[in-house]
Amino acid sequence: MSGSPCAGQSESPLAELERILGCHWKNIEDAHRRTEDTLQQLSKILEGKPGPDTSVIVHGSLGRYECTQGSDLDWTFLVDGEANAGVQDIFIEIKKALFGEARFVELGLQKPGGEGTFGALAFSQPIVLFIGGEDDSNSNTTRRVLLLLEALPVGERRLAFDRVRKNILKRYIDEDRRLLEKKQDNESRRWVPLFLLNDFARYWRTMAVDFAYKQFDRGNDGYALRNIKSGLSRKLLFASGLLACFWCDPIISKNESQEISKQSLIHCLSTFLSLTPLERIALFFTTHLRVSESKFLRENAKDLFCSYDAFLGILNDSDKRNRLKKLMQEEEESDEIFREAWKTRKVFRKAIQDMFLGNESPLRNFSIERGVF
Amino acid sequence: MAHIGFSTGALMLGNFQEALRLMRGTSTTATELSALRLPELPVLIEALPELNLGQFEYVSIHAPSRFSADEEGRVIELLQRVPDRWPIIVHPDTIHDSGKWIGFGSQLSIENLDRRKSVGRNAEELCRWFERLPDAKLCFDLAHAHQCDRTMTEAFRILLKFRERICQLHISELDSAGHHFPLSYGSMQAFSEIASLIPADVPAILESLNPFQGAEEAKQRSWIEREMKRANTAIGREGMVSDTPVSYGQLPLSSSAVPA
Repeated sequence: MSGSPCAGQSESPLAELERILGCHWKNIEDAHRRTEDTLQQLSKILEGKPGPDTSVIVHGSLGRYECTQGSDLDWTFLVDGEANAGVQDIFIEIKKALFGEARFVELGLQKPGGEGTFGALAFSQPIVLFIGGEDDSNSNTTRRVLLLLEALPVGERRLAFDRVRKNILKRYIDEDRRLLEKKQDNESRRWVPLFLLNDFARYWRTMAVDFAYKQFDRGNDGYALRNIKSGLSRKLLFASGLLACFWCDPIISKNESQEISKQSLIHCLSTFLSLTPLERIALFFTTHLRVSESKFLRENAKDLFCSYDAFLGILNDSDKRNRLKKLMQEEEESDEIFREAWKTRKVFRKAIQDMFLGNESPLRNFSIERGVF
Repeated sequence: MAHIGFSTGALMLGNFQEALRLMRGTSTTATELSALRLPELPVLIEALPELNLGQFEYVSIHAPSRFSADEEGRVIELLQRVPDRWPIIVHPDTIHDSGKWIGFGSQLSIENLDRRKSVGRNAEELCRWFERLPDAKLCFDLAHAHQCDRTMTEAFRILLKFRERICQLHISELDSAGHHFPLSYGSMQAFSEIASLIPADVPAILESLNPFQGAEEAKQRSWIEREMKRANTAIGREGMVSDTPVSYGQLPLSSSAVPA
């Protein structure tokens, strides 16, 4: 099912989890297939356009392998090379190729949002070097965190993408002073990269704050749809990032041969983050279900993936999606589609809470000790 | 104490005799005879019996970095005249028919390549070459690994997977276009991050381009000693060295960088 990289495994974590649980998540599979098709088409449109040391990157639902009818085409043109005045021309050429109205209709996609973060040029240096501080603008943080959590390079030119991603990770790992050091009990060591975790958490809260800002800025336009998305796809993104940080600990990844070195952690994170957010969560469940037949984990995984599958089903139904997009706040309570989406959101919320904080969850202590205070 | 020295091509481009003469009177105990350009190989091979290599405990030879499939047989014939105990360093992208090279066994040493190449850049790509040439050794080029991945994660992975195969190191600094330079603080810092994984007894060959080519020999030798100290520091074989540079003064510096 997976077309995304999953080194050393013949079966994607999602397919394995479906097999273990005896489930089939049709909407997740459809979205995956639609993403593959769209990426292929985008790759054809962009063939021969990006130059060396550049990558065209898609974010959003395409970046998560969750493309549905009416998904946005959120993209950036990432430059990681020597000064080159010609980059501007290449960017305009790419923009023309992607922004032609006919192309959007052809691809079944919407134009990117109005914040200017997407559909733009992005340079590697500020993304890698400005972490925190005045120069780390909202757009810069968004680009950096999304490069890690929700991004895919289009076509053959992926070296710049891979390079920038690894260098971002190196910054987080290098500057985490006590990382990998033994704790005071002299038996355990800290594997969880807190600098990275804090930036993921900051981004998640920024998204939540921006939700309120967009309500003010855009009025009712798209409010209900954004509301549902914030509780599902946005929450999934943060959850998969939090999990990536916990995955660095061999207790969670079950990787007993994990080397005690910064490069080893960069490799671990880079490999884990090359999976889609849903695959990251699925890999956690399959890894733990392989070693213990936990009823709690089985039920938890079922709730989480079934609710997410239902969410993608709603998004992929153009009538339901359009209804949510146009719904007024005061109509929510009485609207059947909104109630269906809200119920899905609630189940997913409970499942995510159980995954990280449930009494039987392997992540519970990590979440309490590292994820909250 | 592991042996350390220079590639003749880095000290004196295209003139191994002069490079060897320059190394006399320095503490170098290792050298790599460079024939990176195809026409240099027959000249070097012919000269081998006459070369004064007495000061070196370790000698290797670097095969040409480009030749056609038609020229491959001739290159192999010439390399067969290299003494068995000298490793032959080969860029894997130059090999047209790996079957022709298998006879070199463990004398052959595959080098990891820089990012301009399409093979031999990381652990997975090297693995394919070692499947074809199972007895071959690895010449681990730190500059190439650093250029491919500035985080040194790929270097770390290559070391984890192929540490046992390493027979020689290449040390220098490489810019994004693939030109060799003397070591800078940034490269030394990066190399030191994975130094603990490098086998302690493996000879190190420096490919830092001699910035004093054409200057008085005492100045060149002084630079050679300093660069070797910096390299040893970077890979954890010596304590920190004073960062006092060799005075560049008004001497004519070599401006042409040597391609990797």
